[in-house]
Amino acid sequence: MAEPELLLDSNIRLWVVLPIVFITFLVGVIRHYVSILLQSDKKLTLEQVSDSQVLIRSRVLRENGKYIPKQSFLMRKFYFNNQDDGFFKKTKRKVVPPSPMTDPSMLTDMMKGNVTNVLPMILIGGWINWTFSGFVTTKVPFPLTLRFKPMLQQGIELLSLDASWVSSASWYFLNVFGLRSMYSLILGQDNGADQSRIMQDQMSGAAMAMPADTNKAFKAEWEALELTDHQWALESVEEDLMSKDLDLSGMFSKDLPTGIF
Amino acid sequence: MASVSELYDVTWEDMRDKLRKWREENYRNSEQIVDVGEELINEHASKLGDDVWIIYEQVMIAALDCSRDDLAWSCLQELKRQFPDSHRVKRLAGMRLEALERYDDANKLYDSILQDDPTNTAARKRKISILRAQGKSSEAIRELNEYLEQFVGDQEAWHELSELYINEHDYAKAAFCLEELMMTNPHNHLYCEQYAEVKYTQGGLENMELSRKYFAQALKLNNRNMRALFGLYMSASHIAGSPKVSAKVKKDNVKYAAWAASQINRAYQLAGRGKKENKCSVKAVEEMLESMQITMS
Repeated sequence: MAEPELLLDSNIRLWVVLPIVFITFLVGVIRHYVSILLQSDKKLTLEQVSDSQVLIRSRVLRENGKYIPKQSFLMRKFYFNNQDDGFFKKTKRKVVPPSPMTDPSMLTDMMKGNVTNVLPMILIGGWINWTFSGFVTTKVPFPLTLRFKPMLQQGIELLSLDASWVSSASWYFLNVFGLRSMYSLILGQDNGADQSRIMQDQMSGAAMAMPADTNKAFKAEWEALELTDHQWALESVEEDLMSKDLDLSGMFSKDLPTGIF
Repeated sequence: MASVSELYDVTWEDMRDKLRKWREENYRNSEQIVDVGEELINEHASKLGDDVWIIYEQVMIAALDCSRDDLAWSCLQELKRQFPDSHRVKRLAGMRLEALERYDDANKLYDSILQDDPTNTAARKRKISILRAQGKSSEAIRELNEYLEQFVGDQEAWHELSELYINEHDYAKAAFCLEELMMTNPHNHLYCEQYAEVKYTQGGLENMELSRKYFAQALKLNNRNMRALFGLYMSASHIAGSPKVSAKVKKDNVKYAAWAASQINRAYQLAGRGKKENKCSVKAVEEMLESMQITMS
């Protein structure tokens, strides 16, 4: 039997649905700017900068070593990988895993993250639940089972109401996740209002190491460099070059640029 | 005196875009920058918005090049007023002191920047340039080596070091620096050509072969590099003329040299087309190539 369609007061649309969208959006924008203000500067030490550049140099050696003579390549490979005093073998950096307890700056960062993201969501969710309670706000377009009823129909005590009809609190949560793409459109990719990304970061953060463990990076580079061979790209450069005439077109053009513009 | 905009009939937006192009492509045409930039600052500063600060920096450095101390001072004042605690502005103040040859004051300023922020590369590089300006090349080389030990990725510094070594005739070390540059910029024909020139200057059969290869590489990357073409001709004929090579190597190099000579001829003909003196210049080119042959006695 087809259920009789519920007709909602159009005032609900005007005074509930739209305000909740605006509120969610504005709160997200405010969160983004607050997170920018509270961002602490990350100071890099000289050693970190130097190490990152050394790793880049080693990677460049692996990738483009074929453009320099074999002797030079071997000389550099020896410098990096030599058994006793190669750079990667010899240098051991003191690595302190920055757990939140020992590293005060990470602790404050975590706290700031929590304050700017989780707290407003809880507060505003509760306020909306309190303000816009006692009526049905909207209907989700797909059928839901009865088990969703207590979750999605917070203030409505109707046993026979279809679970697809939801209250304003659930409309608020739908907005929080739905407006994510709007935020990236308006605030740019890396914005501070992106809730779900932050939650993903927090979940993977437990498994992730700190800013690149330098010793491990050195070891990985050492292995990769060991495997690299020198294939000189210039073996047959003369043959390649002289297979055809040089392309001198446009070299002696009649109109030379004069003046600034 | 007519202003730039009147002379060339351009709007202030064109001038701003031209300055941006010069900035992004690292041009050093200081007189033009001063002309265009000075007018832009004096007439249209309000329309530029936030761009004005980077234009002040660009014009100030160009003004120091042209000895326009008045313009440099006024740009510096504006920047100091807007960014009172900035290291970048302090470095510009140091550059002005260098231009006035007050090297001790400039060094003090740079040391204060480095005390605040040890990773600041700009201040360290300015200190090295002071040493170079004072003519103390061996100290400059030493400082630059120390700098590069910590910042291995700084290509500008590698190039500067190669120049310093060439001036000191230490060609092996200059070649090392150029190798670093070739690895990080494999498609830049100028580094290949410079490396080939250094190898050619070092001399010896192996270095000649390397130099010929790298001249060829430079030509492959840019067919129109005349200097590399001449270098190819010279190195190939040098190897061919050497008594120590085997017959096959000699034959190959004679072939390379002949090819290079024919391409040079082509280039000169292309240059001279439509001009009446073409026949004479072709003969001149052939005579030149003859005289450049290195004969081993």
